[in-house]
Amino acid sequence: MNSLSPEVALNRISPELRPLLSSVVRNGRVGLDSTSCLRITDLKTGCTTLTPGPCCDRFKLHIPYAGETLKWDIIFNARDPELPPDFIFGEDAEFLPEPSELPHLVRWNAGDPESLLLLVKELIQQYHRYQCQRLRESSRLLFEYDSLLEDPSYGRSMEVYAGRKNTWTGEFSARFLLKLPVDFSNIPVYLLKDTALDPGEDVALLSVSFEDAEATQVFPKLYLSPSIEHALGGSSALHIPAFPSGGCLIDYVPQVCQLLTSKVQYVIQGYHKRREYIAAFLSHFGMGVVEYDAEGFTKLTLLLMWKDFCFLVHVDLPLYFPRDQPTLTFQSVYHFTSSGQLYSQVQKSYPYSPRWDGNEMAKRAKAYFKSFIPQFQEGAFANGKL
Amino acid sequence: MAASISGYTFSSVCYHSANSNSDHEGFLLGEVREEESFSISDSQISNTEFLQVVEVHNHEPCAHLFSFYDYAGKVSEGNLNRILKDRRKNVIGWYRFRRNTQQQMSFREQTIHKQLTQILGVPDLVFLLFSFISTANNSTHALEYVLFRPNKRYNQRVSLTIPNLGNTSQQEYKVSSVPNPSLNYAKVIKEQGAEFFDKDGVMKDIRTIFQVYSALQEKVQAVCVEVEQSERVKEKIQEEVTILKQEIALRKRKSAEEEKRLQELVTAATTEVSVAIVENSDPPSACRLQLHNSDLEHVSPERPITPDMPPPYSDLVPRPGPPVALLPRPQAVGSPGRPAQPNPVPGDGSSSGNLERRATGQEDGEPEEADEEDDSVYDNLDREPPELLCQSRPASLRPDGDARGSQNS
Repeated sequence: MNSLSPEVALNRISPELRPLLSSVVRNGRVGLDSTSCLRITDLKTGCTTLTPGPCCDRFKLHIPYAGETLKWDIIFNARDPELPPDFIFGEDAEFLPEPSELPHLVRWNAGDPESLLLLVKELIQQYHRYQCQRLRESSRLLFEYDSLLEDPSYGRSMEVYAGRKNTWTGEFSARFLLKLPVDFSNIPVYLLKDTALDPGEDVALLSVSFEDAEATQVFPKLYLSPSIEHALGGSSALHIPAFPSGGCLIDYVPQVCQLLTSKVQYVIQGYHKRREYIAAFLSHFGMGVVEYDAEGFTKLTLLLMWKDFCFLVHVDLPLYFPRDQPTLTFQSVYHFTSSGQLYSQVQKSYPYSPRWDGNEMAKRAKAYFKSFIPQFQEGAFANGKL
Repeated sequence: MAASISGYTFSSVCYHSANSNSDHEGFLLGEVREEESFSISDSQISNTEFLQVVEVHNHEPCAHLFSFYDYAGKVSEGNLNRILKDRRKNVIGWYRFRRNTQQQMSFREQTIHKQLTQILGVPDLVFLLFSFISTANNSTHALEYVLFRPNKRYNQRVSLTIPNLGNTSQQEYKVSSVPNPSLNYAKVIKEQGAEFFDKDGVMKDIRTIFQVYSALQEKVQAVCVEVEQSERVKEKIQEEVTILKQEIALRKRKSAEEEKRLQELVTAATTEVSVAIVENSDPPSACRLQLHNSDLEHVSPERPITPDMPPPYSDLVPRPGPPVALLPRPQAVGSPGRPAQPNPVPGDGSSSGNLERRATGQEDGEPEEADEEDDSVYDNLDREPPELLCQSRPASLRPDGDARGSQNS
């Protein structure tokens, strides 16, 4: 399937229809998974082949929904651009929305560039209702849906896709996609901005797939927007528990939500703790501070002297500080290793407690420096060369 | 359900579609009929099948899209009537053409179809979807068409046939049952029709041919009557011949008996005379013997009687009779293939029946070889089963030769 970039698609579309499609391909975010834009493929024309282009007026629109991608054909007529489009709902041949509940179709305004996007959103709402109706084929899954619906935290931000029955086993499957009500607003900005692409809205989606109607095969998966995933330390940093046998969504989803919230709180707390740590070191070591990370407070470098022996101490604070202990790297300013690097030693085990405040940590660090430096100096003289 | 569309309707829609620079739609006019087929076979009980056949005779294109419905797909009955006028009752479906799209009913088409079904009152309204598909370099264009039966589950697709579009050498050329509503056609037929049609609208040639056929039928029937009459006459003559033959046979038998008796008497008398000549002579006996001998000499050669008289011709021959080529061939007595004479009919009161009974009493000793000569003449008429002839004819006797021989001696 030829996925076209927005610009290419717009260049091939009939000029009269271009504004409508522009809002779709550039601003078109529908549903919970708003990180993915709507995509357009298979641009075709309803005109004869002798008609000079650009004259494409029908295409396939890819819409993310409940972990699936809906592929709907949208049919315009380039010769009658003022007329509303028609739709073919792909594999969902039985989906027949109620036209009277599509105000942007009934009062189609070809002059409004947002008309098509708004109409698509209305269709998605009806499609959601259609899928929820299909859950009635399984009482178990219907119970899951109804119980989630009762909780406004989850019921308002839920997409359901009732899959087709397995032709071999006759089993009915379904997928629930929920937007977890986790507040990411306090995550430090520096953590969120360090992504290659425009991350869009910060969102966490929990997808739970029921492969059978009796919920014996349930597969959950957590989707985070790129910035959140980066802020939390990557995809490997967060593992959600398996769906408990015999459990139900109304118990499981809050559990995952809590876990994620704790993680976010930890990250936020870690930031503040690091800031406090750095501030305390600045206070204790004053002019000895060479440099420090003033944004994320993840690094600090000190230049200290003990009995005319100068040395550098690099402090690396991990993401989950103070749970994780900072790493201290002692570096001689005189001695080199055989590879030409400054002689250094890394210390990860030293007296430390996450319950100490920043001031206490600075004091303890200072005491440790005093106790370790003679040993470091000997090592530098012994192993390094001037 | 089966569906067919006339060639000119189909080509008209295709032409309109190919030249259209956008989607368009229209209505299909025609009729729906039910066919009942009743099949009987040896392997199963008779089976009746009902088949609904949709025939598309014509189409009514709409001038533009949304001509009878609004943006929400709501059908306007007023606009519908304005488009269809008095042809509304002939609507059996509607069609849509859209280029480069899937062969699947769209959202609006399904919405409209449901309303048309209710408004037009056609429960099995069909929907014909045309689509042109072109390759990327526009070198190949394919016209695809699918007939839907949307009111059935899963939007059932119905195969659409176009009569006489195909290899007519392998299928019968079908005359379309589509009536021709053309005014020009009706006018020409009316003007020129008098030369070909009679006052009842039937082609004159047909009447002429029918008259010839009737005349031929009458002739054939007359000939049949003549044949029957001649057959009956022949049957009567055959009966008479049979009776005469029986009488002749009877007379021969009697004369043979008398001759035999006389011969015995003569033999006895000769012996006595011989003794008497030695002792005495008896002229009157010799004279009697001579008379008997002379009587015996005049007796015609003995003919074997037929113990089993053939039944009447009417009982043997079915009407009409089989052709000559199928009759049994004459063969010699004692051969396995010789046709036998049938058993006599007892107690029917006929003279032939009585003769048969008498002949039967003398059956064992009576030869029937003389009939061999006559059988060859009457073989075409004799249809006796072979086994009966074998039963009634003892093969070892030769009466003619023996009789003459005994007489002459």
